Amino acid sequence: MNKLTEEQIQELYTFTHDHFVYHFDLQTELVDHLANGIEVLLLQHPNLSFNEALQMEFKKFGVFGFQEVVEERRKALNKKYLKIIFNFYKAYFTIPKIMLTVILTILLYTTLSSFTPNYQHSIIMVLYLSFFAIAFIRLTKYNTILKKKKHKWMLEEILLTQMGLFSLFQLPIHILNMPVEIESSHFLGLMSFFNVSIIILFYVMVFQIPSKAEDLLEKTYPEYKMTKTL
Amino acid sequence: MGNSKLYKGSLNTIILKLLDEQGKMYGYEITQKVKALTKGELNITEGALYPALHKLEAEGLLDVEVAKVDNRLRKYYKLTELGEKETVNRLADLEEFIRSMQNLVNPDWNIT
Repeated sequence: MNKLTEEQIQELYTFTHDHFVYHFDLQTELVDHLANGIEVLLLQHPNLSFNEALQMEFKKFGVFGFQEVVEERRKALNKKYLKIIFNFYKAYFTIPKIMLTVILTILLYTTLSSFTPNYQHSIIMVLYLSFFAIAFIRLTKYNTILKKKKHKWMLEEILLTQMGLFSLFQLPIHILNMPVEIESSHFLGLMSFFNVSIIILFYVMVFQIPSKAEDLLEKTYPEYKMTKTL
Repeated sequence: MGNSKLYKGSLNTIILKLLDEQGKMYGYEITQKVKALTKGELNITEGALYPALHKLEAEGLLDVEVAKVDNRLRKYYKLTELGEKETVNRLADLEEFIRSMQNLVNPDWNIT
């Protein structure tokens, strides 16, 4: 059987890109699929041109083309991302890292309880804002890194751009806007623990997971290492 | 055929069973095999196969391998340990379902 040439394979990559598949991982899988189909068609109908065979093979994906494949892939990887977050995050609530969570909570609690309720709100606000400022710088840096890469990997994009992060950021702000007087010490303790938990979650998403991105990508994509050496 | 909807609900189980029998397979190979096995009754579009594979992969039932074949990279799927266990469960569920359906549709007739 005549195999497709390297140029034709490159054409297929361009074809998937033109049909809204922008990530190398998914492109690679679809390119191989199309190539197999085209080779079979060309064998059965030797008079067909490469492009005619490509169109016939593409039609088999239905009227929406690759759209469903891309959407479902994103859903599957988002699910994977949530699992990754959970695995890193749960460490802060089990021994030994729970010690850190407890110490931070106590630290925040003692700081807050030495101020009047009016100042307590401001302190929490300042805490978040400074964290957001640092996180924002980080995210901009990740975006620049992603733009420079030759191949786009869907999971890498998810890991580094923190899907849904900004909607999560709004949560503490809404809660802080609630007109509650932080007077009871139980409530203050709860507030401290809650805020520490949120900050740790953001820390995991913005700092810890991106620093492990290479490892996670290598585990998810066996081709990740290969393309680095290609 | 109108009964392709009946097959569609079992697509994941069909994929798992195929991988259980064949070891590792790549996407195109699976579509062709499913089409051949169901004698064209299950006209699964390519658009339905890959989402199913990616979902099973995300659930930890499938593992992937990549090899360079004929100028291109090929992604192979195979069952994980969890996938092997799940295949047994899902096949049992499916058999149970077929039996109940059989009883419902034709109580006097028995497959075993």
